[in-house]
This record gives sequence, structure tokens and C-alpha cells, in this order.
Amino acid sequence: MLLRAATLKLVSPACILAVWFLVNAGTTPGQDTESTRRHLTFEKDIAPLFESHCLRCHGKTKQEAGLDLRRRFTLMTGGDSGPAIVPGMPQKSLLLELLNDRLMPPEDEPQLNDQQIGAVRQWLASGAAIFGKNERPLAAGSEMVDLVSDEARKHWAFQPVRDVSPPAIADKSRARTPIDAFILAELQKRRWQPAPPATRPTLIRRLYFDLTGLPPSPEEVAAFLSDDSADSYEKVVDHLLASRHYGERWAQHWLDVVRFAETEGFEYDRHFPDAWRFRDYVIDSLNNDKPFDRFVTEQIAGDEIQPGDHEYHTAAIFHRLGAVRRNAGNPDIALSRNEVLTERTNIIGEAFLGLTVGCARCHNHKLEPITQKDYYRLQAYLAATSEYDIPLASPKAHEAWEMRTAEIKADIKKLKARILDATEDQKPQLQQELKQLSHELPSRPPTIPSIRNDFENRTAIHVLRRGDWEHKGVAVSARPLSVLVTTSEPELAPDVTSPKMQLADWLTNDQHPLTARVIVNRIWQNHFGIGIVRTANDFGTHGDRPSHPELLDWLAHSLVDNGWRLKPIHRLIVLSNTYRQSGPVPNPSAPEAAAADPHNRFLRHFSRRRLSGEEIRDAMLAVSGRINLKAHGPSVMTPVDPELTGLLYNPSQWRVTPDPREHDRRSIYLIAKRNLRLPFMESFDAPGLQTSCPVRGASTHAPQALELLNGTFANDMARAFAERLTRECHGDVDRMVERAYRLAAGRAPTPPERDLSRQFLHEQPLAEFTLAVLNLNDFIYVP
Amino acid sequence: MDAPAGRLSMSTNTSEKTANSSDPEPAHGPATGRRRVLQDISSVLGGLAAASLVSDHRLRADVASPLQPKVIHQPSRARSVIFLFMAGGPSQLETFDPKPLLNELHGQPRPSQFGEAKYQFVQTDAKLLGTKRRFRRHGQSGTEVSDLFPHMSTCIDDFAVIRSCHGDQVVHSAAQYELFSGRTVPGFPSMGSWTLFGLGSESDSLPAYVVLPDPLGALEAGQPMYMNGFLPAAYQPTMFRPGDRPVLNLDLPSGVHLHQRQRTLKLIRELNEITLRPGDDELEARLNSYNLAFRMQNQAPEVFDLAHESKETHELYGVGQAPTDDYARRCLLARRLVEHGVRFVCVVSGGGPGNMQWDAHKDIEENHLRKASETDRPVAGLLKDLKRRGLLDETLVLWGGEFGRSPEAQGGKGRDHHNLGFTMLMAGGGIKGGQIVGATDEIGLRAVESPHHFRDIHATMLHQLGFDPNKLTYPHLGRDERLTFLEGNVIDQIV
Repeated sequence: MLLRAATLKLVSPACILAVWFLVNAGTTPGQDTESTRRHLTFEKDIAPLFESHCLRCHGKTKQEAGLDLRRRFTLMTGGDSGPAIVPGMPQKSLLLELLNDRLMPPEDEPQLNDQQIGAVRQWLASGAAIFGKNERPLAAGSEMVDLVSDEARKHWAFQPVRDVSPPAIADKSRARTPIDAFILAELQKRRWQPAPPATRPTLIRRLYFDLTGLPPSPEEVAAFLSDDSADSYEKVVDHLLASRHYGERWAQHWLDVVRFAETEGFEYDRHFPDAWRFRDYVIDSLNNDKPFDRFVTEQIAGDEIQPGDHEYHTAAIFHRLGAVRRNAGNPDIALSRNEVLTERTNIIGEAFLGLTVGCARCHNHKLEPITQKDYYRLQAYLAATSEYDIPLASPKAHEAWEMRTAEIKADIKKLKARILDATEDQKPQLQQELKQLSHELPSRPPTIPSIRNDFENRTAIHVLRRGDWEHKGVAVSARPLSVLVTTSEPELAPDVTSPKMQLADWLTNDQHPLTARVIVNRIWQNHFGIGIVRTANDFGTHGDRPSHPELLDWLAHSLVDNGWRLKPIHRLIVLSNTYRQSGPVPNPSAPEAAAADPHNRFLRHFSRRRLSGEEIRDAMLAVSGRINLKAHGPSVMTPVDPELTGLLYNPSQWRVTPDPREHDRRSIYLIAKRNLRLPFMESFDAPGLQTSCPVRGASTHAPQALELLNGTFANDMARAFAERLTRECHGDVDRMVERAYRLAAGRAPTPPERDLSRQFLHEQPLAEFTLAVLNLNDFIYVP
Repeated sequence: MDAPAGRLSMSTNTSEKTANSSDPEPAHGPATGRRRVLQDISSVLGGLAAASLVSDHRLRADVASPLQPKVIHQPSRARSVIFLFMAGGPSQLETFDPKPLLNELHGQPRPSQFGEAKYQFVQTDAKLLGTKRRFRRHGQSGTEVSDLFPHMSTCIDDFAVIRSCHGDQVVHSAAQYELFSGRTVPGFPSMGSWTLFGLGSESDSLPAYVVLPDPLGALEAGQPMYMNGFLPAAYQPTMFRPGDRPVLNLDLPSGVHLHQRQRTLKLIRELNEITLRPGDDELEARLNSYNLAFRMQNQAPEVFDLAHESKETHELYGVGQAPTDDYARRCLLARRLVEHGVRFVCVVSGGGPGNMQWDAHKDIEENHLRKASETDRPVAGLLKDLKRRGLLDETLVLWGGEFGRSPEAQGGKGRDHHNLGFTMLMAGGGIKGGQIVGATDEIGLRAVESPHHFRDIHATMLHQLGFDPNKLTYPHLGRDERLTFLEGNVIDQIV
């Protein structure tokens, strides 16, 4: 071999290179102590290392991250993250950094040893020489190839939604709707029995909480139970879907997903006094059954639909809902901008696409077919998006507010200076004055904290090496994710006039494989407690596989067929026999089924649900008769322990709403403050408000019991409940017990419950009895 | 919902029951099966995993409480952590990292060979500021400690002094998030939550992860800094409030007597038992959570009551004396908590406006003399007390802030934030004390010798607790997340 190579040596430079490859293929550069002394060249010392360790992903057939390691010139051009090497400067060479940090080759690939990395360092330090004068050009046909494998494209969630028909089932007696056919087919396949229909009292309670988040009143229960018309259930369903409480309940699910909060988080946790407008927008949109494609478009591109339109700009508050880091001192404007764009890009992936695109910010997604370039292309849709506050008050009122604010701020500054120089004795008095003064700061006049395009200050979007804004790679423009378009799909022109509209159009295209599937899955999850895909924000190749893929497609298809309206989907679901099943009942297949399907994904029965924190609070208010059902408007701050506001960096931010009637409003109207969550909500698994919450937990722990036994709110409610019973039942113990159960559990007490309660009331105060009722399992859980 | 089992299999074995002097009930026998598991399900801070797993009314063989310990990967040294959080960023230059050259260069601009640094406030034309502190060698190790810490210097041989710490952010909130969670944004689990996730709870009458905030006020990163992020609610911290009754809702409402409330609890149980179907483990667990709540209500205050400690112990910490009283009380409480099985206690020094923290923008002398005088004796007292009770071996003590301070002066006498090189201390829990790790350059600007990121501190902590930092994972958004982001290295020199 060596001899033959030697004879070829004189033929051509290209052959010479080939020969060097051959000659060196068997040696291990870097281990040779000679090499530490002599002049290293790319061909002799480096290329063989890459050949054996890197070229599978950065060579002829594939150029991951746009990087090709076959030549020195391709190294200098680099990939998406910029040049891979800087000759003479190992410390500035990304390639060496990645090798040193053992980030490349990837974990599961053969690794370079220290000596080999040392050889690369030395080669770079000595100027990154090549052998001979010129490098051989790369053969034609090796330009960027499609990084998305055919296999990835075949992932179920990236396939078009199929127009499937409900399956034929052997025993049709239990199938009321197409949904039942899908569910029963799977059960029959496994020879599992569905549960029998739930009782009517169970059903009405389930339906009320599910659709409105409130308990049915005893009168509503009675009316339903005495209505023996064939469509009595349908009538209640339609009544509830038409009720405005439907929007108040289901808006919470969407607010969880879009990380809704009314403050900026981080140290200042500044309030957006007008973020509640977004909450009202969501409630109203749901109540008006706004088509979901329209709903998506308004949130993503509201500012572009009709600039200046208040409703659309309110929808676009969506982009402003993330936590924002503000700081004093030398701000890094580019860094802050990068953080904001990152947050806004990630939420679009999670909320609408149901994909964890955020993982591709620093490197090609390790698990999903999403490249780093894809990530920044998605971000590029938002490149021109900037904050834009639309004042709703008159210019005069706005001016007056600005002046008054400036005055008080000046006074505060003066007072602070005085405090610094004051004696210890004077300080408490001055601190008190300061507190007073900061409370006098007037609230901002009504404003829509929205966004708009500012093309002049458009952020140039680059692929960022390891997500670091200071390490810019290639510039990119907007384009949908590669896995969802053809390889030849071009990027949008950087100066496209309505970039977000382009994004919204793509997402809401009737053919989009994800948008409809993701939303119908969320709806299903919130009705049954478990999604068809359990990872509601992750439909990628590493997310959960659907338990009923055909059903998911059938629902998605129905949604689009119904003009993207959500209420028909709710109706389809709650009218099904599957939804109207009872809880678990003993039957011959039950033990085996329970073992094989512990999470009840196949819906052998209806799964009991613990109420969410909001529902428990709202139900306590409803049962005690204290609830204030007023809709819309600025968010409410209820009184909280001073120890809690003491945990705020700026305690004066918590300004208790003066009118106490406001404190009894539904939980959706309470402020969502990132740095102060109500302990009641916290203990009942309310979301952390920092990022998207795809599914609520339902934990059971002692602080919940302490909250319901000793908490101020629970005891207030118990007293109000007691007063209500006294009022309504004129002190008649039997009637009070009866009424308490009907209000709180939606049913009459059983004889033993009656006896125990009566006995208790003979010696104990009524408010202790009502407290016990509010602690019943039958109050906290819906069957 | 899926069980958040992480990658580690959850052990169904009962947790090791440690001596718990304040627990008058008989210790639960080993592996008393279901009853024990149920108790754990409703254990102090919850059971998201368990509650959802048993939603099928059937306790499966692999059901375990989220607060049961995971499989330990390696022999553990520590079973608890006390983090003495010096919030605001104590200066490395005034404390544990003497820099004679800095005093020589006082008043001059930073020589260019030291490289660049970004500060929050001070500009590139700022002048270097020498220190007025005097350093002396202490202990057998001869570790240099400044005169700010006359008490801590007497136990310096227990401390590993890591002089080469660094982080990525130079503003409080982001740096505090990184210190606690390894990420510069909120929403990720803190080291306390990870500890609890890994170790589970040892106590069933106390919360297992406790934060003792400074009564002076909140910190910039706020409560989200301590939170459980995407880990289930069972791993939430309990924020203690100032005063004798630090846990929310442990007090009966005013006007309600204990015997009366006991009667109400009895009614709740009896009414709920009427509708309870046999084998309904989730609702049974809920009933048990009331027992547990009642036990907490009655037993926890006992642990919180420092009057059980001797006068000598009070004096050791500096309880009852200005200016140490407050921090001393909280350090002493931290010891009582870990003694009763609490896994992670964060004792915060500093809160409210910057100058009430270690955030000495205006006057480094005034600020650090004051902050050190508040904490020096309590910290030393804690170390000595843990040691004499044999608790130091199994309690990892971490001391430090979210960053250090600039070699340059801010406004003449202050120092700005600085994240490129600063000092943290570790002691106990198997840490080899009496040594110095790494070094900053000659003016204390940058960690130049064995630099250690926060992730290395986290990795070392997890290692001492018995975990391979890369293997303690929890699935989140398609990834197995770790405290250390796969980038933490255990500081071998001290373990």
C-alpha cells in the first residue's frame, strides 16, 4: 500500500491529498510525539481525526448545523454558528471549544482523546496550515442537504389529519355518538367492559363544574331531576355552553397554557395594570365561540390584522405575557431583547404547535427533528415585534397622570435622601411617610399593553451559537419548521410587511397537522382529566403516543369542519356515553383492566376529579352565598397576610382592592401576580405562572388540610355558610343539615350523615359544622 | 397524569426512620406496607405522584410516595443541607481572598492584562479600590480569613474555601436564579427542591424543605427563586414567617379551642368515612392528611420553640444579643430542623433594600462590617453546635451569595456586583475542610485557577448527598432535566 501510494505521489495534487488520507488513516495523530514538534497540517494530522469521528454528520452526506469538516476552507466558513476555526487563535475557535467541553462528538459517538484534541489545538495555534498551496475544491452536489430524515417526517403528528370514519363495533347498544364508537372499539378489542351510565345527580354535578367551574344550585339539580323529557340533558348542556360562566371556566385552561400573568416577574415584578384586558378577551372569545383559527390569528398577529383596532391589539397582549427581566445600571439591550424573543418563540412552540422548539435554541434538537436554524427562523417572525402601549384615556388625562406621577416620584426621591441622613429615631416616621407616598402614586390611565411591528428597529435574527447572543452565526429569515414543509420552501424576505400574519396563516391552515390536533387534545384532557396525548405541549417524536389516534384525528377534523368552533366539540364530548359513564364499578374485567391501564386512558369509566384551587374557592363562595358574580374588569387583590407581602421586593405593589364585595369575585378575576401567588391556590396546585402549564396536578397533602381547617378564607366561608343556613332554615337543625348537603354536595344527606350531623350540632357551633361540610370529599371532588 | 418518577426508579421501601425525639408516637415499623405508604402519600408536603397514581382506586405495587427517597447512586455523606445564603453578594476581597496587589494599585485604573469585565453600574473608567480589611492565617490549615470574621475563623479548618467560583449573570435576580437552579430564568427547580426530590422526607411532622427569609424583606428574585419549578408540588419549599409560629395555618383561628377543633376533625373523619369505599386509597390518603395536619399543628411548634435550648447554646449562637439575635435564632432553628429530619434549610442573610443585604454599592466598609457582625457568630455557633452533636458529618453547610464584588470602586467607597470570580464555603457532610480551592487573579477579578461554576457547587452537593449529578433527572418538555445541566463537575479536591 505504501509503495503504491508512493508511486502515485507524482500524479496530481488531488491524488496527493487522497494519498495523505490513505497513509494517515491508520495512524493516530497526536499520539506521535514527533507531531508535537513538527509542523502540523490539516491533511496529514487533522483530516483523519475528522474522518473517523466527525464526517458522518459533518461530511458529504450530512452537514449538521450547516457545518462541513472536510476542508480547511469549510471550517473557516463554518456553519450556522459561524466560523469553526480562526487560524492562529485556538481560544477563539468554536471547534476547539466544543471539543474541549466534550460537547462534540455527541455523547454516544466515539470520543477524541486528549492527545487528539491537543493536536487540533496545536494545529490551530501554529496557523492551521494545509499541505501544499491550495485545497482541493469539494465535489459538486454536496450542498446543504435536508437534515430532516424521512423517518422523522413520518412521525404521526407531522402527518396530515386523516378523515377517518368511526369504527364499526360489535355491540352498538352502548354507542350514542361517534366518540363512543372509537372508545368502545378499543375496549372491545381488550374485552373490557365500559361502566354503566352515571346517576343523574352525579351527571349534573359533573357537567356544571366541567362547563362552568361552579356547582349547580339545589334548585337547578331539582329541576333537572324532575325533567323527564328525552332531551333534558341536552337542554342543560346547551344552557351551560351558552352561559357566560362557560367562558370564565374555560378561559382559565387557556390562560394556563399561555403563561398568563399580570406582572413582569423577576426582581421588580412590575404590574401591567391592564393585562386583565387579555383575560377578558379570552373569556369573551370563548363565550362568543370565536373560531379557534381566528382566536390564534388574533393573538399572534392582532396588530397586523387592522392596526389600531382595540380588540385585536388586546388579543396581541399574548406576546407580552412572559416574564421580563428589567434591571438598573448598564443594561445589555441586545441581551434583554434576546431574552424576550426567546421567551416569545418558545411559547408559540408550546401553546400552538405543541412542540418543544425551545430545546433547539442552543443546538439542533437532540430528540426532535427541529434544527437550530428552524428555531431562529421561527423567532424571525417576531423580529420586528416591539412593545406598544395604546392609551385609552384622553391625552389630557394621560398628561395629568404623567405629571402627578412625576411629582410624587420627585417627592419620593427627596424623602429617600432624607431617610439616608436621618437619625435612627427619625427613620420609622420617615419610612411611614415613604410608604404613604408610594401608595399615592396614581394608577396608570387605561391602556392596552400591546405590540406592533417596528421595522426600523427590527432585530437581525442570527443562529446563535449555544444560544448566546454574543456569538452570532448565519443570518436567517422566517420560515416554518423544516419537518413540516418541503426542503425547497424558501425563507420569507426579511422585510415582509406582515410577518406574524404569515405565521398565523401557516398555523391555521386547514391542512396544518398540529394546530387542530393540539387544541382538541387540550379540550379532551380538560373534560376527562387525561389527554389522548398525555403530553399536551409535546406532540413531538419523544412526546406521548396517542391512546386513540383515529379519535384524535376525527375530533381535529370535526373541529375544522365546524369552522374551528370549539363549542360543537365540547357538545360532542359531553353528549357521549363515554362522558356520561359512572365512576369505576366492580365487573369481571375490572381488575385485569385496572392493572393494564392504571391511568384509565381507555376510559373504562369516568375518572373522579379533584376540583382545582379556583373551583374550590369559587364553590365555597357559591355555597356560602357570598359569591359576587360580576364579570370583567380590573383584577382584584384580596387581603393577604402582611408576611406574604413582606416577601415582595416592593410590598406596596399589593394594593388591596378597596371594595370588599370585590374580594368575593370568581377566582379568574383575582390578580395573577408572578411573585405572590395566594397560598390557597399554591397548595391546590395552581400553576407557577412562569411558563406554560399544560396540565394541572392534583396532589393531596397536609398543607391543604391546614388551609381548609385553619385558613382565614375557609373559616370566613364557614361562617358565611352558617349565617346562610340560619337565615334560610330559621334555625331548624334538620333543615339546616339537609340544606347544607344539598348546597355543598349536590344531594340529600344519608341517614347516618344526618344523625352524625344532628348530634354534632347539639353541642357544637354551626360554623364548625359548615366548616366540616366544606372539608367533605364530596365537596372537594366531582364524581 | 403520568407519575413523575424521573429516571430513577422509586423505591417502595420505607424511608429510614431516624430518631425523632419530638415524635411521641411509636416509630413505624419497617415496611408496614400499605398503611405506611399511605401515610407517606399524604406526607407533609404532598403527593402529586402518589395521588395521581392511586386515582385508579388501586394501589399498585410500584406506587410510592414522592417523598420517599430515590435510589442513592453512591454512598452518601450528607443527609441534610443548610445553605447560609449571604444575599446581595458578599465581597471576596473583604472576606476570604486577600489581594495585596489590589491595595498597591488602589486608585488606579485596572491594568489591561487582567482583561475585561461587565458590571451592573461601574463603567470601564472606574478605579481600583483597595481593602481596609486585614487578613490573618487561622487554624491548622493556616487559611487566610479577614478580620470581619473573628468567630468563623476559629472553625476555618472545617471549611473548604472555594475562591474560584463564577456565574453567568451580574444582576441580582438572574444570578439568584442561577445560584438556586442553575438557570438564569425563573421556572426551574431550586437545589432545595432537587434535594427533596432525591432524598425524600424524613420527618412526618415537619415540612422537608424550609426557607427562613430575612425579616428585613424580600430579595430581588422573589419567591420563585426557591420554588420547585416543573417538579411536582410535593417538592415546594415552605417559607417560614418571622416569629414563634412560622408556618402558615398552623394556628387555630382565633376564638376556636383545640378541643372544639378536635371534635370537628372527628366529624370530618366520620362523615367522610360514610362515603369512603373500601380500597379507595386516594380518599383514604386525604383522610390521613388531616391526621398529619393535626400532628404538624401540635408537634411542629415544639421544634420551633428555641426555649428548649440551653442558655449556653443561646450564647454560642448569639441569641438575645445585638446585633446577632435574629440570624442566631434562625441558625439555631436550622439546626433544630435538620436534627428533626428536615432535608434542606436556607437561612437568608439580607433582605429588602440593597444595603440591608450584602449589596455594598455605596460603602463596602459600613455594609460588610455590619453584615459580618450580624452573621459571623451565629454561623460559627452553628458549625460548632452541629459538630459537638455529631451532626456536622451528615449536614452539608454551604455559605455564599449570588456573586462577589468588583475590584473597582463604585462611587468612591462601594463595590459593584461581580460574577467572574468570588468565594463560597462548604463544610460538613463529608467535605474535606481546611483547604483552599482554586484562585482568582492578583486583583480578584477573575477565577483563573480551577474555576468552578455554580453547577460545580450543585454537583458537589448532590454528590455528597449520594447522587450522581447527571443521573438525578426529571422529564420535562421532552428532556431529562438535571440541576447541573450535564455540565457540573464534582470538586474532587474536597470530597
